Amino acid sequence: MFVLSYYPGCSLKTSSSFYEASIKDVLSFYDIDLKEIDDWSCCGASAAIALDDLLCHSLPARNLAIAEAEGYHLICPCPACYQRLRITNEKMRTDRSLMDEVNDVIAPLSCLGSIEVKNIIEVITDHVGLERVAGGIRYDLSSITVVPYYGCVLTRSQRIRPFDDTEDPVSMDNIISATGASVLTWQYKMECCGAGKTITDKDATLRHSSGIMDMALRIGADAIVTPCPLCQLNLDLLPLMGRKKETIPVIFITEVLEMAISGVIRGSKSHIIPVDNLLTKVKKIKL
Amino acid sequence: MTNFLKEITVRSREQISACFQCYRCTNGCPVAERMDIYPHRIMRYIQLGEREKVLSSKGLWECLMCNTCSIRCPNDIDVARVFETLRKVASEEGVTADDRIWGFDRLFLESIRHHGRLYELGTILNYKLQKKEFFKDAKMGITMMLKGRMGILPHRVKDKRHIKEVFERIKRR
Repeated sequence: MFVLSYYPGCSLKTSSSFYEASIKDVLSFYDIDLKEIDDWSCCGASAAIALDDLLCHSLPARNLAIAEAEGYHLICPCPACYQRLRITNEKMRTDRSLMDEVNDVIAPLSCLGSIEVKNIIEVITDHVGLERVAGGIRYDLSSITVVPYYGCVLTRSQRIRPFDDTEDPVSMDNIISATGASVLTWQYKMECCGAGKTITDKDATLRHSSGIMDMALRIGADAIVTPCPLCQLNLDLLPLMGRKKETIPVIFITEVLEMAISGVIRGSKSHIIPVDNLLTKVKKIKL
Repeated sequence: MTNFLKEITVRSREQISACFQCYRCTNGCPVAERMDIYPHRIMRYIQLGEREKVLSSKGLWECLMCNTCSIRCPNDIDVARVFETLRKVASEEGVTADDRIWGFDRLFLESIRHHGRLYELGTILNYKLQKKEFFKDAKMGITMMLKGRMGILPHRVKDKRHIKEVFERIKRR
């Protein structure tokens, strides 16, 4: 059993709790145990960095400090949290005076930047491996065609070594291909969905997310696959935001693995755009 | 060096004078078409010290913080960070063209200070109250609740005192 510390972030406990369930299911299938960080708090998201230069590192550092004390590397499935935690982790290693300042703020905790922060795609690639993904297939996904949608922040952190290409990441494409589903190449892999604008300027999100949905439909995808809870939510909300045109399901990367392993999506009822048509294309492999 | 260039360089910690107008930030920007002043022009106006023109630009508030401009800058300027700094300065001086984003960000942080985690429903309702648009998007909210995608009650950290301390220490600085 391989153990990782786990930082859920706010989304995975509320708007995307079915994503958490899916991640836990899939990773436990591959013998990876997740140990939720004790008493974790919000990373500050885009609000802390907009309003205060020290708070935006102190909030992530509080969580990193708790994880460091537990001694495992950290998985952070939400790309927005991942970005905040990784930037702070890197800063703690490279900026000594900032580290002292932050540690004064979060005392009695203290953060050194001594562990690795990984996202869900990295964990599947590094700690499961494509061979084991391919070896674990029980259901045939070959009649499903998807577009990989990484969202905007996963590899777009300046001055931090990205885990994949900044402009054209491929690691999630590879995971999907390993499950037997077809992956289409498209230029919207990292297009912004409108992110946090959903509440303050719904039309902005509608415009951006609709553009992504339109392109996915135009090139003939059956579903959009993403690792990001905010992208998933924004695209999934399209019918409720006023989009009248056709939509296709927006599923999490771990839900693709769920389909390959068990033929179902356990959180299907939480999807606003129904996933039923997609599931009818999944066939049991006769062994 | 103009005073404005110095001010924004110091506050953003970005080397704005390195910009040589290659247009890559504007070319990659998903919302450039909605900006009254394109990103590369904002950079140029900062260099020229056009304080008022830059700070009153509505385009500053169109930015989605997607970072495309930043990672594409050949001179390693974090353009999105510069935009964020400009928003800060504009908001401090009361020339904010649009305070919706920060209004929400402030409520967001308030929620974290109280609960340690984001209380989505509470924060959204507070925002809607503030903006007096209580019934707008109500259907969306109700569907989300029915789908189990919006919690009714806040989820909190156990050590609320520590979170309060973190916020207070930052305030005291």
